[in-house]
Amino acid sequence: MKTAETIVVNESGLHARPAVLFTRSAAQFTSDIRIRNMTTGSQEVNAKSTMRVLTLAMVKGTCIRLTAEGADEDEAIQTLIALVDSGLGE
Amino acid sequence: MEYRGIAASPGIAMGPPFCFRQLRFHVEKESAQSAPENVERWESARRDAVEELRKLVVQVDDDQRMIFEAHIDIAQDCEIDEMVRKQILEEGTSAEWAVQKAFGVFRDMLAEIEDPIFAERAADLDDVQRRILRFLGGAQQVRLDALPYPVVLVADDLLPSDTAMLDRKNVLGIVTQTGGMTSHSAILARSFGIPAVLGVPNAIAALENAAQIILDGTRGIVISGPSQDLLEQYRQAQCQAEAHAAAAKRYLRKPAALKDGRPMQVGLNIGGADYPKDCGQYDFVGLFRTEFLYMNSDHLPTEEEQFAAYRQVLQCAGDRTVTLRTLDIGGDKTLPYLKLPEEMNPFLGKRALRLCLEQEDLFQTQLCAALRASAYGNLRLMFPMVGSLEDIDRAKECVRRAMRTLERRGKACNGNIPLGIMIEIPAIAELAGQAAQEVDFASIGTNDLCQYLYAADRLNPDCTEYYQCFGPAFLRVLERIIQVFRAAGKEICVCGELAGDTRATALLAAMGLEKYSVNASQLPALKQEMASFTMDEAKELKQKVWKARTQAEILAQIEAFQDNHKEGVQEK
Repeated sequence: MKTAETIVVNESGLHARPAVLFTRSAAQFTSDIRIRNMTTGSQEVNAKSTMRVLTLAMVKGTCIRLTAEGADEDEAIQTLIALVDSGLGE
Repeated sequence: MEYRGIAASPGIAMGPPFCFRQLRFHVEKESAQSAPENVERWESARRDAVEELRKLVVQVDDDQRMIFEAHIDIAQDCEIDEMVRKQILEEGTSAEWAVQKAFGVFRDMLAEIEDPIFAERAADLDDVQRRILRFLGGAQQVRLDALPYPVVLVADDLLPSDTAMLDRKNVLGIVTQTGGMTSHSAILARSFGIPAVLGVPNAIAALENAAQIILDGTRGIVISGPSQDLLEQYRQAQCQAEAHAAAAKRYLRKPAALKDGRPMQVGLNIGGADYPKDCGQYDFVGLFRTEFLYMNSDHLPTEEEQFAAYRQVLQCAGDRTVTLRTLDIGGDKTLPYLKLPEEMNPFLGKRALRLCLEQEDLFQTQLCAALRASAYGNLRLMFPMVGSLEDIDRAKECVRRAMRTLERRGKACNGNIPLGIMIEIPAIAELAGQAAQEVDFASIGTNDLCQYLYAADRLNPDCTEYYQCFGPAFLRVLERIIQVFRAAGKEICVCGELAGDTRATALLAAMGLEKYSVNASQLPALKQEMASFTMDEAKELKQKVWKARTQAEILAQIEAFQDNHKEGVQEK
């Protein structure tokens, strides 16, 4: 199992556009990927579900924790963290 | 009849109404079909919905494409799918029922989020749910992509898929029963430049039978069955507004000056994380409201968070001075995480500086953040709701304390940072001469000053006639403040709504005002107005106005003055 944390840097947070980019990227991996909003102390949710990701209300400045478990867990964490850090296309 | 709503997109529209109702689905819990059959129906409806969305995606422009990409993701969402299947298989309900239930769970979760950006994504969920239910039931929706003639669209609600293919050339305006400033309908209307009034209760029932309606998106009102006179008035206003906007644009990049070449200074009021772009030529940031930092947060913003935000604004402002107004909260503006006692008269209560002096920790955090940022640009501090010289003494003492704190911590700041006050309480206006000796500058907050002077609540529609910002008493108070500060050699600015009201531009200039601070969108029109008169002409107007007895007489004088000077602008 792999875990990493980062901060949401893009202006509008993980909402519509960026959330779609994020979950589509997560869906490419076979590992089970979970995401948690550390700022609000939310529960862990399925990072491949756009709806779940939206309900975490991750605005700019939110600290998030990603957990991946499976064959491609290293790559999954690396890719997703880099994606969030890059500002998710914003 | 006149109906009120949210002024979501400015402009005027006149035309016949075209009513649009969302399909209502009647969903039965029980199903005659077996559970596997219902799962099959769900899968097929979902597939059809995704297919239809994929077709939409390639037909719409970039902005809308992402909305529908998101809809595809929602329709295919693994957790929704799981929930629907589980519901059908475990409880034997119809596919429709299961869909409604699963979408409902997520809608409730979104509705709990306080940030409207997220909460309003519930509209996307509704849209996808309807699309899927439509495929489950095989119903047809009224379409908005081919309207018979130019209409004012009146809808209970507009979903992105309704508006994606909107027959734009035939939509004069939009009225809806639901929706706020950040809803899809509002964003769409503003981006297409379509006037819109949203959130009008029972709009369809009220407007359905009107032959003609007027929509005033600037004031947020809709009028059904208007008289010929009113129609004519609005027609003229519409022509004028169009001509004005086109002419004003030419002033965007010009420096502010009167017709006789006398230079004026125009500044920007800002109050959000996003520094306005493309503002053209302006001289300073006259009012940097800091409340957004507190309102958009679930905790008191830390010194670091504030420091970063202030520094960013200073960077965007470049060499220009930035006047930061310290926290103006309390009264009607509350913070969910800061418990304040309920007050009988919030506007006369412990708000703004009064609150900061009482809760000094909160004030010290902001002052330290601002003082640290002052090392990175041309920053000044301004205190709101100052009513006495003691208030000034106490605020200054707080600044000195923050400076000592920073010194101990070894942080740099501008030790000579200019300090100023908002003049919005009549008591300090009365003491303007003494106040001017004790501060480096002042800015007049016309909205509050006017409501306190006339004892008339500016947010109460029934008090409009008593809230007289062109009343003789108010204008005299303004002139005295401006002249006293000028005589003391201290800078004076107007940053309230009156600064951006072009009816006041000439009068304020005649009183001796040289600095006007307004919202970015008002800058071009303000500069255009300035260029339409000379100082001598403005002084002549002031003389006439000073002889008037009532606000109505004064406004009539101003109107005549503006009519006379319009041609001057067009000649250029």
